[in-house]
Amino acid sequence: MLEVTDISFAYPSRRAVAPRVLEGVSLQVHRGSVVGLLGPNGSGKTTLLKVVAGVLKPQSGRVLIEGQAIEQLTRRDLARRLAVVAQETQTTFDFTVIDMVLMGRYPHLGAFQLEGASDQAIARDALAATGTAALEARPFATLSGGEKQRVVIASALAQASDMLLLDEPTAALDLGYQFEITALLRRLNLERRTTMIVSTHDLNLAAALCERVVLLKHGRVIAHGATEETLTAANVRLLYDIDADVQYHPRAGHLTVVPIGRSR
Amino acid sequence: MAVHADTLAAGGRRASVRQRILWTVAGFGTLAAAAILFAPLVGSTRIQLGTAFDRSIPYADNIDAQIFFVARLPRVLAAALVGSALAVSGVVFQALLRNPLASPDTLGVSAGASLGAMMAITFNLDFSLLGVSAVPLASFAGSLGALAIVYGLSTARRRGTSALVLLLGGVTVQALLSAVIAFVQYLADFTQTFRNVRWLMGSLDVASYSPILAALVPMAVAWAGFATLPRMLDLISIGSESAAARGVNIERTERIALVSASLATGAAVSLAGPVSFVGIIVPHLVRLIVGADHRLVLPASALFGAAFLIGCDLIARTVIAPLVLPVGIVTAILGGPVFLWLLFRRL
Amino acid sequence: MRRIAAVVSVVALFGTAKAAPYAGSYIGHGFGDVKAQAAPSSSYVGHGFSRAAAEDLPRRIISLVPATTEMLFAMGAGDRIAGVSNYDRFPPETARLPKVGGLIDPDVERVLSLKPDLVVVYDTQTDLKRQLERAKVPMFPYVHRGLPDITETMRALGARVGAKPAADAAAARIERELAAISRRVAGQPRPKTLLVFGREQGALRQVTASGGYGFLHDVLEVAGGADVLADLRKQSVEMSAEMILTRAPEVIIELHYGDPVKPENFDAERRVWDALPSVPAVRHSRVYLLDGSEFVVPGPRIVLAAERFARTLHPEAWER
Repeated sequence: MLEVTDISFAYPSRRAVAPRVLEGVSLQVHRGSVVGLLGPNGSGKTTLLKVVAGVLKPQSGRVLIEGQAIEQLTRRDLARRLAVVAQETQTTFDFTVIDMVLMGRYPHLGAFQLEGASDQAIARDALAATGTAALEARPFATLSGGEKQRVVIASALAQASDMLLLDEPTAALDLGYQFEITALLRRLNLERRTTMIVSTHDLNLAAALCERVVLLKHGRVIAHGATEETLTAANVRLLYDIDADVQYHPRAGHLTVVPIGRSR
Repeated sequence: MAVHADTLAAGGRRASVRQRILWTVAGFGTLAAAAILFAPLVGSTRIQLGTAFDRSIPYADNIDAQIFFVARLPRVLAAALVGSALAVSGVVFQALLRNPLASPDTLGVSAGASLGAMMAITFNLDFSLLGVSAVPLASFAGSLGALAIVYGLSTARRRGTSALVLLLGGVTVQALLSAVIAFVQYLADFTQTFRNVRWLMGSLDVASYSPILAALVPMAVAWAGFATLPRMLDLISIGSESAAARGVNIERTERIALVSASLATGAAVSLAGPVSFVGIIVPHLVRLIVGADHRLVLPASALFGAAFLIGCDLIARTVIAPLVLPVGIVTAILGGPVFLWLLFRRL
Repeated sequence: MRRIAAVVSVVALFGTAKAAPYAGSYIGHGFGDVKAQAAPSSSYVGHGFSRAAAEDLPRRIISLVPATTEMLFAMGAGDRIAGVSNYDRFPPETARLPKVGGLIDPDVERVLSLKPDLVVVYDTQTDLKRQLERAKVPMFPYVHRGLPDITETMRALGARVGAKPAADAAAARIERELAAISRRVAGQPRPKTLLVFGREQGALRQVTASGGYGFLHDVLEVAGGADVLADLRKQSVEMSAEMILTRAPEVIIELHYGDPVKPENFDAERRVWDALPSVPAVRHSRVYLLDGSEFVVPGPRIVLAAERFARTLHPEAWER
């Protein structure tokens, strides 16, 4: 569904040769799969998501979504096909939950068009899918961390239920909410066949959620493939300089990564 | 927790956006219309409306007509224009800077306008254009100058949060201009200082329609910009990256917001001097009633801002009759406590 | 206009409290009463003389007040002046004298460097007074409230600098001339007059007018006018258009001094008032713009100011 070929990107800078944040990154995401982008802070995961979402323009390479180059799509077109679940949501103003979700309908509406009955229905459907229907009239700022994240996911679903790009979806959540969100994402993928790219530094989240992983270090892909084959102790050492114990956990049903110590 | 008059009891569904916009505009529009119609009738002198409109009395002899058409009506219209311009600019700046305590004064546009006026008064500038005299012209030029600096700052950045850079840059410009204003005041002699100080308190006593018409020009341009902004401000206020991913052109939106709000503020301050607190109080009160959706907040603030300033001006010209208080004093006395209350609510 | 409001502001800001007992005491009486009025205020003459030296006749006088500079020249003590304020313009001899600042920003160093043996200061210049006391320099504190203070100050100053006969004669002449003007217009109906000190150029905004108190108000009364805002008892009032329409003055006098409205532009500035055609002054074309420094300095030339007012208000009284 999504094909990323040889993307290179550097932020505009005054220097003659700007340092590259992404260097020759390629990956493929098949419809209905959940792919994890793993790497340490500064490896370029967020930048890659922004490039895929059309927010940043790469200096070279291309991104194809269902065979179409994203440069040929308008921003709205692209926004209808994929939605970003950002790391942070600012609560400057007191929007209600339904307000937040309806904002996801923006790319589907004309410049001065207002949300209609179908938009409201889609929004409510998204709330139901994330188990937050009862919170519809609540102010967003009063929700718990897990509830907020579910609402943000709902607003992304209302925008584009086919593909979600999630940037550190559980980074700010405690263990309970982490579990809740992971379960939600798995369920969405199973029930709606929503394709997902999840950028995270939480290896256990990736292990629980993603069937494939792409490992990024210093802007380059150092490994990619099925999670069981790619998330190995050797690769963890390569990524983080950490010795870890990677085991299949029978009760959890997926791999777990336990850090042991610094590698020399 | 905001109280939303439109949200029904548990289980109920909120009215559609279209309906809420209609109700909001109808409700606040009625308030503004009532203010505009009622205010010219009230003042320190009693006038008879029938006499004022009596065509059989020659205008030159008709005191009631002159009080109505020269002394009061321009004031009320100016109050409506300035109040709505400052209120909407406040809304836009708050969204642009992601800060609910931002105001039209935050980025220095108001200080630029004040500096222009101070210079016209202190250096006795003498020119006029299309019926508009030196002080308002110089004031508007000053606001454009401040805007140019802040705009340059906002476009020079290459990366980083625009809201923060804009805020820091704007606050610096404001501080710098305030220092220059103090210097110009230091150079002034007594009369000029007296007039400077009085100008800074704000006054709506326009006594003529040409400054109002002149102010309408930049305000019309600003309104053209404002009309495109509401939904985009909603999206940007929850995060510029998620807004970009939804198809909003962040840079273009921020530029339109900055220029429109600055033009409206510059025109308002040139007309009436810096009137404090309108740009903070009105948006907050409006949000308490209609919620956070800018498609409601923007038109409601425009209408409520007009009604609010008309009301403050009414108080200003009746409370110590026959003398007239500068309207900025009334808005500060009303606005200060309300602002404190808002501040406490947030804490 | 600048200077008018300058002096007006000075008294408003610093002198009003002291002036309270004076308010209204002069209004309505003929000018001949002024000597009787002199008595209560002469109490201030007793204060403020800090004489350190035994010498009686000061020979190096510094005057920070333009009014007292003119008085000193009028009593023949002009050659004993060593320094004047930045705002002094009259008589022409002041152009050659050293300038030492003004009310807000007196140049203390300059003052002391000129080695004065008497400095005329504003009573409210407390910092300056303290510094002069420390330097043991004698001072004459200048207080100003209304029209009678002018001749009173002249007499007191004359006594202080040893030019008493000349000063008394000059003061008496001022009183005579003012009384003559007053007599000339006596019996004429007093037109309701709006005395405008300043406004925004080219527009009817920030109109500052006499509010029924102060030396210009007093002069207006001498000249046969009735201050239209007399009941407000304020030095200056900022007027709204509504107030002007309601008070309906029969004569409007705008004072200008040293601001950029050149006499050629007076017509254009006068037409600004046409926005209020129901005002009798506008309807009967009795809006006058007067230009001159005699309006800003409460000194000997106040007689000129009074005469100009009187000629403006009662032109028929000068036809004979």
